[in-house]
Amino acid sequence: MSRYISYRDFDWFLLFFILMICGLGVWQIHSATEHTKFAGAHIKQVYWVLGGLSAMFVVSLLNYQALLERIHWFYIGSLASLIAVILFGQKSLGARRWVKLPWGAHFQPSEWVKLILILAVAKYFADLHDRELSWTDFLKAGAIVGFPMLMVLAQPDLGTALTYLPVAVMGLFLGGLRWKQGLIVLTIMGCLVPIAWVKVLKPYQKDRLTSFMSPDADRQGSGYQVNQSLIAVGSGGIFGSSQGSQTHLSFLPEPQTDFIFATFAEEHGFVGALGLLLLYFIVLMRLTQNAQTAPDRAGAFLVMGVVAVLTFHILINVGMVVGFMPVTGIPLPLMSYGGSSVLFMFLALGMVMNVRMRRFVN
Amino acid sequence: MATNTSSNRTRFRLYTLAGFLCFWLLVICIRLVYLQVFCYGDFERRAQHQQQRSFDLSAKRGVIFDRAGRELAMSVQVDSAFIVPSETPDLPNTVSLITRITKEDPRVVLADCRAHKTFCWVARKSDTETIERIRTLNLQGIHYQKEPKRFYPKRELAAQVLGYVGTDDQGLSGLERQFNDQLRGKPGKLMISVDARKHWFASVEKQPESGNSVVLTIDQNIQYIAERELERGMQESHAIAGTVIVENPHTGEILALSNRPTFNPNIRKEIKNEALQNRAVSNIYEPGSTFKMVTLSAGLEEKITRPDEMFDCQMGSIVINGMRIRDSKPHGLLSVADILAESSDVGAIKVALRLGDDRLYKYIRAFGFGQATGIELPSETRGLTKPVERWSKVSIGAISMGQEIGISPVQLASLISTIANDGVHVPPRIIAGTIAPQSTPQTIAFQPAEGKRVISSLTAAQMRQMLQGVVLHGTGRKAVLEGYSSAGKTGTAQKVDPNTHAYSKTKYVASFAGFAPINDPQLAVVVILDSAVGLHQGGQVSAPVFQRIMQQSLEYLHVPHDVQFATSQQTLMASRTVSESSLDEGSPDRLGSTLDMAEAATTVPLPPVETPKPSPIAEAIIPAAILSRERASEAKAESTSGATSGNHLSSSPAASVPASNNPTTQKLPSSGTVVLDVQEGGIEVPSFLGKNLRIAIEAAQDAGLDLDAVGSGVARDQMPQPGAHVAAGSRIIVHFGR
Repeated sequence: MSRYISYRDFDWFLLFFILMICGLGVWQIHSATEHTKFAGAHIKQVYWVLGGLSAMFVVSLLNYQALLERIHWFYIGSLASLIAVILFGQKSLGARRWVKLPWGAHFQPSEWVKLILILAVAKYFADLHDRELSWTDFLKAGAIVGFPMLMVLAQPDLGTALTYLPVAVMGLFLGGLRWKQGLIVLTIMGCLVPIAWVKVLKPYQKDRLTSFMSPDADRQGSGYQVNQSLIAVGSGGIFGSSQGSQTHLSFLPEPQTDFIFATFAEEHGFVGALGLLLLYFIVLMRLTQNAQTAPDRAGAFLVMGVVAVLTFHILINVGMVVGFMPVTGIPLPLMSYGGSSVLFMFLALGMVMNVRMRRFVN
Repeated sequence: MATNTSSNRTRFRLYTLAGFLCFWLLVICIRLVYLQVFCYGDFERRAQHQQQRSFDLSAKRGVIFDRAGRELAMSVQVDSAFIVPSETPDLPNTVSLITRITKEDPRVVLADCRAHKTFCWVARKSDTETIERIRTLNLQGIHYQKEPKRFYPKRELAAQVLGYVGTDDQGLSGLERQFNDQLRGKPGKLMISVDARKHWFASVEKQPESGNSVVLTIDQNIQYIAERELERGMQESHAIAGTVIVENPHTGEILALSNRPTFNPNIRKEIKNEALQNRAVSNIYEPGSTFKMVTLSAGLEEKITRPDEMFDCQMGSIVINGMRIRDSKPHGLLSVADILAESSDVGAIKVALRLGDDRLYKYIRAFGFGQATGIELPSETRGLTKPVERWSKVSIGAISMGQEIGISPVQLASLISTIANDGVHVPPRIIAGTIAPQSTPQTIAFQPAEGKRVISSLTAAQMRQMLQGVVLHGTGRKAVLEGYSSAGKTGTAQKVDPNTHAYSKTKYVASFAGFAPINDPQLAVVVILDSAVGLHQGGQVSAPVFQRIMQQSLEYLHVPHDVQFATSQQTLMASRTVSESSLDEGSPDRLGSTLDMAEAATTVPLPPVETPKPSPIAEAIIPAAILSRERASEAKAESTSGATSGNHLSSSPAASVPASNNPTTQKLPSSGTVVLDVQEGGIEVPSFLGKNLRIAIEAAQDAGLDLDAVGSGVARDQMPQPGAHVAAGSRIIVHFGR
């Protein structure tokens, strides 16, 4: 294993598009929060992005293979942090998701747990080598993701918990899940969902999950957000509405976080929204390419884990904005305002860079 | 190597994932196209619907000017207060605080507020005081908006002509209704952006466009005279309703149009329905003897009779087709002129019988009866004129003396004007024109409607002479003017009792239609009093009103006295008036009118306008009349010279000091006449400071001054300063501010 790594191998192309999306995000946050109590959020976002960038460079210097060797410690640490949230977390809106850090910031452990999970799943499937999955492997992989997922669900934070799922799914899918196994799992899940629906989910969660299907049924209640989001997107037209009044008159809830795509679509219209989706597509394709060129199986799984999480976020968030998906509080990666989300993305990208920079090593 | 680490299977699955991603992206794109391209309009509407509330802002209504550009109806900017219920923390309490000031039912207002979450008027076009009191409460969620409010500075003046407006400035009657489209202007838009928490965000206004102004042919001062004298006539006769029309017979311009009962258009709540009716155009009544003018004009025009032809009036009884008609007074042989003067029904019927149905009907129509005059006032009646086929055998008798036919007062005014205007009928008009907002009304030149000859000028001249006879020695003796010749016709029609459908024995419509001076009639005046109690004859109750209005209006218009036409009889009567009045004892009888005139000059409050005060005039004329008896030729010359001297009235030396309040007397030694400079003593300018616009305008009106208001709010400054003396009708510039 050579120690030779170079920033010539750093994926500047990817970084360019990443920063472009971040730039659009900052711009949109500025527009969405102007004249509101969140004014100035875009400056903070810039700081987060800068912080994320430096973290990315730091992470890219670490050796991911060395990290993977010690992943079980990280995994245990992440579980501990989730328990800490349940014990000491800041209660807000009926859920404990945040830990208050000494310098006034809030930290949401469930975000970086995602990162650990990507690593853990990558490590697990890399160790399995290229054989077909047995049911034991399947259950083990499920358990790796399942424990933290349950703990996040207990916060309760359904949205974030769901983002752990693609990590497992991607791992299983690429790790050699047989189609038969997949079918069986899906069938079992299909049976479990109605039970979970009745037993586990709270009424407000159910409302949130179903209201997107009929946003007009309760315009002021559970359908409000979907409805306002659709109005925002729809009133954007082809080239966007210059005033962006849906956003500026605060009809759109949380325009700088979960619904930033809606405000973007309102202000820049179909053309803008399509352009933005294209940027994301380019990023995802580039990441997938990086996975293919990874030096080892673990690296490929790692990158694909990142792709899975990123894709899932985009799918769910954009789906939510255009009324395909329930409102689950999943931010649009790289654009939505929020330190945890930005930091996670850049750390994850740092891992990807890490893998890429070592592609000719070995 | 890196590529070796991924198996083919993994590679295949990667492509599967990429394909899935592409598919998803495609679906999202389709969705975006659907939302942003196909449903764009719908969403745009929904966005606007929830983001914007728009409210109409009433445009400033056009001014209604009189012929000289004096405002009869104007709009002033006042504050309205509205509540934004969603911004108001304690709605019931706020509403109850406000309704305590506005004295409205708090429950109604509260219900209204709950129904309209973003906007609800609480004090619409209120006076400054109310708004100030609401302002001092400093309540949350109360906002103010300037709105134009209709204001009639002259209150009851020409109320039925002007009409009035509702809360939203829509014309509800009169010209306000008829010319609503022109006056209204284009309402503006008050756009309110409402955010998700129902907070007011911004209010973008589309400025309302002011409406056009309307200039009337009404002369405010003559209107004042008409209003005042009609009011007095109403009181003296105890009539239930009355109408006065003053018309320029040559042009058809209506100079004054007054009705009783009347109303103050500023106080909407107190307006009664019967007061709203513009009787001058909408009231159908049987004219009675005034209609004999039509019969006799027709007779003369058709040359079937002459003014001096004698008719046997059969001692007041005639039988036509088996029906007996009686005169109120038995007459023997009467000339046609005397038939008119004495208002003999039998005589008129005999002339009509000679005419026949068809010819009489032809002239009825030719004089404009049975059709609207086209005056620009709403709800004008055509009257009731039966076509000749539906006449019964006795109709000609009834119609010739003004029964079995319904006319409106304005049609009567048209009739007398036609005779006064040499037989040419000029349709009456009350609108001089409409002008763009902010332009000065003086730019309007009245274009009289095209006239139509009804009778020859010879017939008209004969009629005028005969009508003068009515005034000089007939039933209209109380219409004798001072210094002017006059002519007219009395009418006393029995009202049809609505219950019995028979002619009432107690209810009469007393009318007088006349003009003056004889040779060049300047004004035609119609006075109609409905159901006078006690004296009820046209010559008894309406003629004096005619006399006072005509006298004052002619003086106001500086119409030269036509003493050269004063016959010895008229002079004699004038002199007797003087002797009686100088004896200071009342024997009103047939000459009471002149006494009344003198009284009017002293007791009735004068119109606060630049009219020369009648008192000096009246007193100045009487001696002139004496003089004319003694030195008729001299007086003639003098009065002519006086007439030409504009503001200066001339009089003979005998009347050198007729009025004590005339500040200057100027002796002109050359001709031996004294020229009285009838200058007003000057009006002391009152202080408007601290008053609001409406009070200030009313105060100015009372003082006889015109107010030029600048700004809004409370008067802060004025030019000239209080206490200064200015000519009546001067403009006082008052600056208003907050």
